[in-house]
Amino acid sequence: MSQGPARRGDEKHKRIDRRSWLKAIGVAGAAGLAGCSGGSNGSGGGNGTDQSGGGNGSNGSQPSNATNGSALGGGNESGNQSGGTSSGGVPEVGGTYSTVVSSSPETLNPLYNTEDGAGDLIGYALDYPYGFKPGTEYFQQLYDMTTDKGNVWVAKLRENLEFGGDYGEVTAEDFVYQVTQLHQSEWAATADASSWPSEVNVEATGDYEFQIELPNPNALYPETYDPLLYPIPKELMQPYVEEQNADGLRKEQELLGLGFAGNMGAYTLDSRNRSSSLTFKRNENYYLRDAEGVPEQFSKAPYFDTLEVQIVQEEQSRLAALEAGETDSAAVPPNRVSKFRNLERTDVYVIPQPYNEVCVYNMRDNGWNAGPGNLFRKKKFRQGLGCAVNKQRLVKGVFRGFADVEYTWQPQWSKWYPDDTSNIMEFGTGDLYGPEATQSRIKEAISDTDYGYSGGMLKNPSGETVNLTLYHSAGQPTERSMADFIAQEFKQNAGINVSVSAIQGAQFSREYWQQQIPDNPDQYEWSAGANNAGPREVTSANPWDMSVVFGLNTYPLNPTTANVFFQKDSAYNPYGYYPSWNASELFEQASSATSEEELQPIFNEIFAKISEDQPMGMLAFPAATTGYATGIDGPQENFFSGWDFSTWHRNG
Amino acid sequence: MGLGWYITRRVGWSFIVTFIIVSITWALLAAAPNPEIAQAATQVALQGGDPAAAQEAAERARQLRGLDAPLYQRYIDYVTSVYTLDWGWSETRSQPVIQAILGALYYTAQYSIPWTLLVIVIGPIVGLYSSANQYSWKDHLATGFAFFGYAIPNFFFGIILLLIFGVELGWIPVIYNTGVPVFSLENARQLAIPVFVLVTGSIGGIMRISRNESAAFMNADFVKTANAKGVSKLRIYARHVLRPTMVPLSTTMVSQLLALFTGSSLLVEIVFGIPGIGRLSYRALIAQDTSVVLGFVLFFTFVATIANLVQDLTYTVLDPRIDFDDR
Repeated sequence: MSQGPARRGDEKHKRIDRRSWLKAIGVAGAAGLAGCSGGSNGSGGGNGTDQSGGGNGSNGSQPSNATNGSALGGGNESGNQSGGTSSGGVPEVGGTYSTVVSSSPETLNPLYNTEDGAGDLIGYALDYPYGFKPGTEYFQQLYDMTTDKGNVWVAKLRENLEFGGDYGEVTAEDFVYQVTQLHQSEWAATADASSWPSEVNVEATGDYEFQIELPNPNALYPETYDPLLYPIPKELMQPYVEEQNADGLRKEQELLGLGFAGNMGAYTLDSRNRSSSLTFKRNENYYLRDAEGVPEQFSKAPYFDTLEVQIVQEEQSRLAALEAGETDSAAVPPNRVSKFRNLERTDVYVIPQPYNEVCVYNMRDNGWNAGPGNLFRKKKFRQGLGCAVNKQRLVKGVFRGFADVEYTWQPQWSKWYPDDTSNIMEFGTGDLYGPEATQSRIKEAISDTDYGYSGGMLKNPSGETVNLTLYHSAGQPTERSMADFIAQEFKQNAGINVSVSAIQGAQFSREYWQQQIPDNPDQYEWSAGANNAGPREVTSANPWDMSVVFGLNTYPLNPTTANVFFQKDSAYNPYGYYPSWNASELFEQASSATSEEELQPIFNEIFAKISEDQPMGMLAFPAATTGYATGIDGPQENFFSGWDFSTWHRNG
Repeated sequence: MGLGWYITRRVGWSFIVTFIIVSITWALLAAAPNPEIAQAATQVALQGGDPAAAQEAAERARQLRGLDAPLYQRYIDYVTSVYTLDWGWSETRSQPVIQAILGALYYTAQYSIPWTLLVIVIGPIVGLYSSANQYSWKDHLATGFAFFGYAIPNFFFGIILLLIFGVELGWIPVIYNTGVPVFSLENARQLAIPVFVLVTGSIGGIMRISRNESAAFMNADFVKTANAKGVSKLRIYARHVLRPTMVPLSTTMVSQLLALFTGSSLLVEIVFGIPGIGRLSYRALIAQDTSVVLGFVLFFTFVATIANLVQDLTYTVLDPRIDFDDR
């Protein structure tokens, strides 16, 4: 994953393409302890969208945008306390917190994990170096990061960090060794490798301090999540480094069982049954209790004696468990939210998250199977399709209002979303919606081809009505409804027939989304792995036209991370998009900006260009809708919910 | 040449059969490209390494997995590891395959043993009862029950019962708890419904076969003779009718035993959240966890061979008319 393009709805990720998202969870906590509890992403059986919706404070019936003011923190509209107690004191310790998830993690080895769900589980027993509080405020956990000009960042460790077993105290050397000997090596193939290209220079400048020297200044370096490192003892890694044994490192029991975590996690992993449950026990020596500069509610954290995670594949069973009071949290699909809101023992929180719902057009040679050429490659045609789908109605009808409309690669609640939206083309709304808006653009796009309209339907040069396929994840009712809605709108407004097909996410990823690596990659201008194995003539095993199987991350804390989706030769371009705008230049400017003031105008331009170029049909930002037992005090209705998970407790 | 010699030969033959299957599996695997090696090379290419470095990475991956050894050496290692139960490493679970399979078997056995026993015991008895009371309301009731169980999909029946007894009445837990002792009331409570669903789903076949088979013997000469001698009804059914009925029935039963490790348990395991063999094998297939899938191939090979053996031996024990001398 270079730069970690993150997908929602992955069940299989041979490659490391969700790492940044995983970190986003550890950091922002959005789904960390909430949205993923039983959400349907992850590996194994479930796949596809977190069926969720978004955006409004407490009453879920109105179309959203109510998160816009509060999604990044600030007020708590529904009156849910965060952290501490309602009464303001430190809570009592005791009891059990239990949650359900839909699938079992592949590995808990922090060096090799690429799943967001497993990231949450690791996070219970091992803290990341830093997180973000509501308001995108840096929250120091293991180390603080500072910089003068943005190109040299200094990380300063807390001095009370201890590994478990005989590994002793945590020093800067442990982190530096991990970066230089593992992430920057050619043999280890760690999940974090792409965050540490060889141009990044890391060295220890003291026992508890190391510095990271970047090739270009980056004012938002912590927000890229790249500098996040799990603390791993040097002695544990050393034997594998000497033998260059990645396989052994992957299977190391100490890493798989998180036994080295010492005092660096709120809980310790007590037992694990790979297919059914994990049990964590309260960590008596949690370092944040005596740490400086943390809120008072951490002083006795964590507040549960036991933390139980049950793996329940069947959504109905998860919801039944929530209803019966057997679990404290589970993801609730949008069409069930009102039911769980009305139950006495459960609350439903609407938690914004950064994944979008996109209708991806295949611009590679095996896309557009309705006739000669590939009309998806024409910007005007894509704009026409943008006018075909009524986004407001999609949000209201399919997501029951728990979503925000999407016009460009950023949720409207993000602080980077342009204040002045006059340059953002709002396709699918108002004048930019309807048969006239759609067909006039499509006619312009096909003026130099033999395609044409007849009887309100788009015909290919042979006179047959254009028919396109649209794939969605099997077993995802919300996604299926969305696909059906798109099909209906395309027929009505664009005169295009759409056949909707269900497919397993893993199969789609393998046989449609990823390309076959060419035998001789050198013959192409670029070949960057399975998600962009070359120019448009390099294709996947099977032809496909459109897909809503995967949603992608829009990185609201640092949108530069999304550049990988818009470069024709990046590591992530399964759909064969060639931007008609200066994407690489603008993203380059953004990543080397030295201040936030400098960044905003660049982002404004990027978002305007994306909305105009319509690289894919950008439809909606569903929020996670998570049900919690009424007595649980801690979850918040903002992007950072879960940043202070160790202070969560039960009232009453 | 008695029964002992026959059994010895059959066991020996079973061993040869598994050996042949294991060898074929190895040949197929050896001929297929190893995805992990391609992955290692891709990884280097992705990090901007040059083709030579990618080649090197692939070589290293090959050495690590012992794939650079000569073919015969690899074959010997493979066969040795199969018969010493060293079946490799599951990538999707990060644990040895044999551990994954045994762990899953432990939970499957907890419901499959009572399920099988109940089916084997209740099925023939109800069938016999039906045929003894042919075309009475009792027969129709038993037949109706059998067809209902057979017709209603297990997973759907399971969800309904879970909703009624778990969510509405709160008598049984919704989430299966692996932490309870095997022989405990809690475990019996959480397994009662899955076992009930499975028994109703599979008893129909056995019941109908035993009903029809035993109906054929109800009027046989030897039954009439027994009746004439004044043998009690119970003894006639148990000794004279049930025994010949069991010969064709044992075939069905063995296949039933096999089925319990495969398809039918998957949906029930998913609904009730039981971490058994069905879910493990399904997930391994979906996630392409080759070593686990291979583990299952071996596991089922052994199970099927043993089942076949047991079936033949059951025949010979149950039916003295079957002669094993000249086999």
